[in-house]
Amino acid sequence: MNCRSEVLEVTVEARQVEEAMLALLHTILLHRSTGKFHYKKEGTYSIGTVGTQDIDCDFIDFTFVRVSSEELDRMIRKAVSEFKDALSNSGSDGMGQISLEFYQKKKSRWPFSDECIPWEVWSIKVNVVNLANEQERQICREKVGEKLGEKVINVVEVINRHEYLPKMPTQSEVDNVFDTTLKDVQPYLYKITYQITDSLGTSVSTTMRRLIKDTLAL
Amino acid sequence: MAHFDTEYQRLEASYSDSPPGEENLLMHVPEGVKSQWHHIENLDLIFLNTYYVYNLHQKNGFTCMLLGEIFELVQLLFVVGFTVFLANCVDYDVLFANKFVNHTDSSKVTLPDAFLPVDVCSARIRNNAFVIFVLIISGVFWLHRLIKFIYNVCCYWEIRSFYINALKMTMSELPYATWQEVQARIVEIQKEHQICIHKKELTELDIYHRILRFKNYMVAMVNKSLLPVRFRLPVLGESVFYTRGLKYNFELIFFWGPGSLFENEWSLKQEYKRGGNRLELADRLASRILWIGIANLLLCPVILVWQILYAFFSYTEVIKREPGSLGARCWSLYGRCYLRHFNELDHELMSRLSKGYKAASKYMNCFLSPLLTVVAKNVAFFAGSLLAVLIALTIYDEDVLAVEHVLSSITLLGVCITICRSFIPDKHMVFCPEQLLRVILAHIHYMPDHWQGNAHRYETRDQFSQLFQYKAVFILEELLSPVVTPIILIFCLRRKSLEIIDFFRNFTVEVVGVGDTCSFAQMDIRQHGHPAWMSEGKTEASIYQQAEDGKTELSLMHFAITNPQWQPPRETTHFISQLKERVHREATGAPSDTHPMSLSESEPRSLIANLLTGPSTLASVHFDRDISLANHAAAGINDGGSALRSLSPISSSLHLRGSLSAAHRVAGHTSRTMAGSGTDARTVSSGSSAWEGQLTSLVLSEYASTEMSIHALYMHELHKQQSRGEMSRHTWHRQESDESSDSIPDEVRSEPIPHSRNFPRSSQLWRSHISVLNLDYLSVCFEDPFGTGVKIVRSARVPMGGWAEDGQTAQRHHEPLPEESLEDEMPPHIHKVNALSFCVCY
Repeated sequence: MNCRSEVLEVTVEARQVEEAMLALLHTILLHRSTGKFHYKKEGTYSIGTVGTQDIDCDFIDFTFVRVSSEELDRMIRKAVSEFKDALSNSGSDGMGQISLEFYQKKKSRWPFSDECIPWEVWSIKVNVVNLANEQERQICREKVGEKLGEKVINVVEVINRHEYLPKMPTQSEVDNVFDTTLKDVQPYLYKITYQITDSLGTSVSTTMRRLIKDTLAL
Repeated sequence: MAHFDTEYQRLEASYSDSPPGEENLLMHVPEGVKSQWHHIENLDLIFLNTYYVYNLHQKNGFTCMLLGEIFELVQLLFVVGFTVFLANCVDYDVLFANKFVNHTDSSKVTLPDAFLPVDVCSARIRNNAFVIFVLIISGVFWLHRLIKFIYNVCCYWEIRSFYINALKMTMSELPYATWQEVQARIVEIQKEHQICIHKKELTELDIYHRILRFKNYMVAMVNKSLLPVRFRLPVLGESVFYTRGLKYNFELIFFWGPGSLFENEWSLKQEYKRGGNRLELADRLASRILWIGIANLLLCPVILVWQILYAFFSYTEVIKREPGSLGARCWSLYGRCYLRHFNELDHELMSRLSKGYKAASKYMNCFLSPLLTVVAKNVAFFAGSLLAVLIALTIYDEDVLAVEHVLSSITLLGVCITICRSFIPDKHMVFCPEQLLRVILAHIHYMPDHWQGNAHRYETRDQFSQLFQYKAVFILEELLSPVVTPIILIFCLRRKSLEIIDFFRNFTVEVVGVGDTCSFAQMDIRQHGHPAWMSEGKTEASIYQQAEDGKTELSLMHFAITNPQWQPPRETTHFISQLKERVHREATGAPSDTHPMSLSESEPRSLIANLLTGPSTLASVHFDRDISLANHAAAGINDGGSALRSLSPISSSLHLRGSLSAAHRVAGHTSRTMAGSGTDARTVSSGSSAWEGQLTSLVLSEYASTEMSIHALYMHELHKQQSRGEMSRHTWHRQESDESSDSIPDEVRSEPIPHSRNFPRSSQLWRSHISVLNLDYLSVCFEDPFGTGVKIVRSARVPMGGWAEDGQTAQRHHEPLPEESLEDEMPPHIHKVNALSFCVCY
């Protein structure tokens, strides 16, 4: 519970899903990434540079800015296309949610694995609509573009607030806060999960875990 | 030309800098994650999901807690093992000497002789299905406890390091730190580490909400009579049944059991927040209750056996040691729920109730049935004579003891006499239920309206006994609980499922950084105030939303007084300051009253003045802190002494008293002027340094309960006046001063009536009982060396100026004071006498 959660909702056509998701996820990650840290011996560090890149969408009248890092882009594209496939295969009414969760790692003692403590969760709810003719598609193309523009401003507003961010780590702890596997950019640790259908109920494993925990906590 | 060239080159040089050139780059210093305590995932885990931080504090540190839990486990094993052993492995014939052991060397029977050999013993156990059943059940239970214990130890270990690293408190100093201190440190470290990421600062209320999330719901549900705990039974009349087992089941259903209303420790499930499918949800809840009821029914024999065993082993020893303890009373579980404020921690409640214990048991002892007394007297007489003969015979020749059953009959007769004696009233006791009830009220803070003025009636006593029951009844109820609980669940609670669903939907609010809490616990006068409890005009609550018995208002006062640093929302601040100012004014107004009617009447006033005026001592806390503590003690003892003197009207001479009260009057005046000048300094200094805050909080937290008592009495008094008639209600709560000219005749007509009716009576009462109560008071003073009585006298005076809010009060309401004093001139007397009688009774 001790984490912020922001919810964004979009209504798009099936073919726009991928681009819309990419646009939003990249926008968020753009603001949640820094350049690579170069630590010096006195416990100071310098921050490398981050390049940005404009991306034009094919199916939406929209252009967004993303970190120009192929690696990061590949990872996000992978997650989004998985989500898109799952959404199209689900056969349900086309509702889904993709969430981007920023977390910190906390080292635990031996028998337990490291704890991941989220501090900010962005949930993007997607509603897929089917359109009958080309004219509607054209209108949709523009409307979705406008909507996404609003969302981006929304995201920036949220990020501009002076709210909790993990403190800048020392060299030994940098892995607990930032994802240092990428060569050219260093985003906060994040993970992308998705869920199809609107049943936002907790999964079986979490329920079980809670059950056990509850019984123990009597 | 050369100049131009160089300039161009410099520009180029600055561009060539962009690949990291070490010396020119901006360097950053990492703050580092210095402690692991910033941003804690599950704050509730830290704040008492299962009590954690608070619990560790209450259990006096890690070692104590660990030892306690280990012993509990061992105790469990022992109970089961010993019972099985007693039932199967002891040859009772040997013990009772019905069978002779053939020893060769001596004729003495030793204990090991009575034990059966191991193989016989185990064979007996193996053949007894019931014993095996009990053993398996208790084995499972024990394993569960063991796992829970290990889990707890892990959690508490975490909390321990939280205390040591984050709060900088060692485990050895923990038992001597008050909760207020711990809390202050938590608030402090939030600023530094930001353990909660939603806000910059944690307030006391946030911490309380986390700790008491579910308790507040329970209190609210009892307050709104939602839980089926009161029953109208054919023979017993109205009775209350609320046991630990039942409570456990309620919590299981609502809060944490599988499929409960709560998703996790901090949030209600989404579907319960929407009103749309309430009927369906109610159905689901009903069927869940049914299943849990059935599970209870199935497990009933097991729980019953367990309860009996547990009760047997925990209480037999006590009963043997002091048989009177069964006749002693304790606050019932229902009472604890009914009397609990919103946002009141366990230790606060317990200390409050314990303070009221003496008066409450005295009150209950007032009502001994005369019939029983006659019977008991005679039974005691006969039993006593038999006992005397037996003892005399034993003294003459101790062989009498060897006769069969003589020893046991002596024991039995002794027990019988003890029981009888508890039914014979104390010869020196005086019947003054009204006064006693008032003293009780000063501590328990809640009681139904119809008790006032009816304290001497048996119905009141019966109802009070629901809150304050015999220990024996408590044990009996606990024993009955496994049988009754499923019945209540299946037949009573199930019917209420729709109401419960509605309750949770309507009274749950989401607080940022805290999660879902009971909206009553917000103590918002506007939403949940009751117009009959001083929040008229401020409250917008419908009847459904109003908390009963002035719970919102009293809780608010209680919370504000126990947590002086808390900054309530604006309207709430207004309410608190208004009330405090009223109480303050009526107390300090006394000495400056222009027409003292007689000496005997100025006397209580001087006492009140003594009790309530004079922030002078407090000012000393702020102004010369270094010597303040010593000063305090000295001043307190002096005051206590003078209060004592003025309290013994029979012995002390009149003129002495007169001069005393005059002196107090002067003191009151000076202290008031001091208060006026001191407010600024105080409001400034209150937040100046944490160190000072701690010092004053240490001094003041002990007095908070007394201030709360006075406020509670005042609020009840006001409530009584208000409900007496529309007229007085009107005048009491009028806010606009421009109406005063119209309504003054009303006041004149309406107010003297209660005044004249009430005042002489209570003063008479007061005078008639003062000797007894006075003795009582003295005995209290002498009983404990620290002098509760002395404390009271001192404590009452300190808070008046002690809090920052109070200071603000004085400032804010400086102007309206003269106008309002007109209309409030009469009622103060009544209040004063009441407050006084509380002090006196104490």
